[in-house]
Amino acid sequence: MEKSRAEKEGKIWAIGGGKGGTGKTFVTSAIGTYLAGKGKRVVLIDVDIGGANLHSFLGIDRPKKSLTDFFETGASLSKLAVKTGIDNMSLITGDIHSLASDSIKFTQKLKLFRHIMKLNKHYVIIDLGGGSHNNTIDTFLMADKRIAVLEPEIISVENMYHFIKNALFRKLRMSLREYGFKEIVEQMWQKREEYKIKSLRELMDCIRDSFSYVGDIIDKELSDFKLYLVLNKIRSSDDILIGSSMKSIFMKYLCVDTRFVGFVEYDDSVWRSIRERRPFMLNYSFSRSAKEVEVFIENLLEGKEIRLSRN
Amino acid sequence: MSKKNLKRYFEILELDSDASLSEIKNAYARLNRLYSTNSMVMTPIADEFSKEKRLEVLKQIEEAYKKLSEELKDEHQRSVNLGKPGISSENGAEGEEVESVSFSGDVLRQIREKRGIYLYEVALDTKIRAEILENIEHERFDALPQEVYLKGHVSNYARYLLLDPRKVADDYISRYKAWKAEAKDKD
Repeated sequence: MEKSRAEKEGKIWAIGGGKGGTGKTFVTSAIGTYLAGKGKRVVLIDVDIGGANLHSFLGIDRPKKSLTDFFETGASLSKLAVKTGIDNMSLITGDIHSLASDSIKFTQKLKLFRHIMKLNKHYVIIDLGGGSHNNTIDTFLMADKRIAVLEPEIISVENMYHFIKNALFRKLRMSLREYGFKEIVEQMWQKREEYKIKSLRELMDCIRDSFSYVGDIIDKELSDFKLYLVLNKIRSSDDILIGSSMKSIFMKYLCVDTRFVGFVEYDDSVWRSIRERRPFMLNYSFSRSAKEVEVFIENLLEGKEIRLSRN
Repeated sequence: MSKKNLKRYFEILELDSDASLSEIKNAYARLNRLYSTNSMVMTPIADEFSKEKRLEVLKQIEEAYKKLSEELKDEHQRSVNLGKPGISSENGAEGEEVESVSFSGDVLRQIREKRGIYLYEVALDTKIRAEILENIEHERFDALPQEVYLKGHVSNYARYLLLDPRKVADDYISRYKAWKAEAKDKD
């Protein structure tokens, strides 16, 4: 996967997390608006197959052209980008009808990413849809910064856990395949009853025990797999604990380096903004939740965690 | 302790290696609770994350906390001996303790405040009632429990502040005894 240069710059950010409705699109539009406001050139890409609606969060009409044109007619990405009404920020949208999720091949995705990296932008913010489809996971894996949006409720917790687990499993399988060890993972997983493997963690441990050289690859992949966690729609300070607990489980159980970058309070002005067709970060820039958004974006930029305890 | 080990312990508690004492305490309490109870966050992996694994995690957390507190305590002790500010001190003013060799209630309060710890946090973690802790700090001896209990409370509180429990308790109890003798004389 191509990313060495972009990784350093942290140019491509993907917002995912499993469940729909947790606020991925809200987070995407807020990040874009904030960074553009800082004078950065930003493009938002909406690849939410089931419901591309990022334009609604920005208060603009659905763009006529979409990524389908890129895949089918080879239209350049910069031609697909439309203005958002916010300086420095443009939008490229996926298309609900023709961008059938199964029709995109892996090589096409790589091509898309090559073009994304070539865009003359400081930041490319990609809004992934819900669900754990391979397309969604691949896009998530190819990004430089992987951001997962969590809501403090059980379904969101469950879906995110599966999403991250699937992403990690796919990444391990792909990179072991690159090194020529494709069979190991597959065989061990097929014989999981025999090896008494019940989880991804046990599978990783088992591979590590059996083949030390493969273990090194796994460790390298794990150290590359950084995850940033945003907790959205909290209703009490107790909810914050769910963010740090989720982080802990990802670290201790899946060995994923996770940073809990911040939380945002539940706020009715988000849907009010959509109704008023005005971007939330501009419309309610002085609200508490807008300030919380700014905190987590700054943390994302610096790769820092939110500090929860007093000093 | 080697730098590498130290780093690992901070990692286990999911902290940066410049974390303060109260952050260490908070992280320890939080993680301990998470892995010893059935949190909502744990439900998706309830059947995968075996009891043994959890116990293993809890053991690591315990060890990391113990080692880090010891390390910070050693650092602190050393800095007190040298009369320099300890690394656990946020505002670097803890060297003052050198002059105040005797641990009075007020000194305990000062140390607690310098570490940014609230009284209710001490109460939660030590299971000593906040009211008693407050009386200890203010040396309201007549409102305090009997000597044997008091000694236990003071040692626990000292241990929480990473001070030498025996030294603190001895100092404090001798002040308590002096007050008692005085009170008796007056009768």
